[in-house]
Amino acid sequence: MTTPDELVAIELERLSANFVEQLPGQVRAVEDDVAAWLGAPRDAGRYEIVSHRVHQLKGSGSTFGCPGISRAARKLERHIRTYRSAIDAGRLPAAAAVESALAQLQNEAARVQTLSRGPEAGA
Amino acid sequence: MSVDTLQRILYVEDDADIRKIVSMSLEMVGEYTVAACGSCADALRVVDDFAPDLLLLDVMMPDVDGPATLRQLRKRESAANAPAVFITAKVQAGDMAHYRQLGVLDVIVKPFDPMVLPARVGEIWHRNRGGDHDDAG
Repeated sequence: MTTPDELVAIELERLSANFVEQLPGQVRAVEDDVAAWLGAPRDAGRYEIVSHRVHQLKGSGSTFGCPGISRAARKLERHIRTYRSAIDAGRLPAAAAVESALAQLQNEAARVQTLSRGPEAGA
Repeated sequence: MSVDTLQRILYVEDDADIRKIVSMSLEMVGEYTVAACGSCADALRVVDDFAPDLLLLDVMMPDVDGPATLRQLRKRESAANAPAVFITAKVQAGDMAHYRQLGVLDVIVKPFDPMVLPARVGEIWHRNRGGDHDDAG
């Protein structure tokens, strides 16, 4: 007989697989949101959208077996906040740190995808 | 309303997958009764009928965040005195003091292991009650 713990573990495994499957789309959405916000960095609505999406990725990554995604999202979130603080202070800083953190998130997502496809995919 | 045994948890989280695994774990592993809601509006629709013992709220949600959701729920008699626990991926210096002012018992930091979450919630509940943690949660 399957125990409650086992049922939850099975569902966690299924949701983790879903998370990995949906990861490319999630990262593309982050890319779009970051680009839209950097195009209008004083737009509070765009900031809310991008920060919420990155925050959600940070929270769900480790829960669904992808701690590297959480780490990369945490770094991106930090740079987004720093950039926003500079904007609020009346400066227009270079976006290189945000773009670099985004690239790291993209790389980590690509790595997760490769691993999920098995050893042949990375060969 | 004040109860000694935690049974009914009103859980608000906008991420559907997190909401699903946490609800499942709280119900199946912790043996709690859970009303899982995706937003403040959903929570306000069910709170009176559900009459929660505990409010478990994600902090960062679009439209209405966790603290604002808590303030809305507190206006309802059914949740006016229910203890609250926040879940968040971000706790910055000063946040906890602010949350305490809102009547929040504790903060569970994401990421968390869904399998051990019921025990963590139970531990917070019993610590607040000043009793031993002796139930399934």
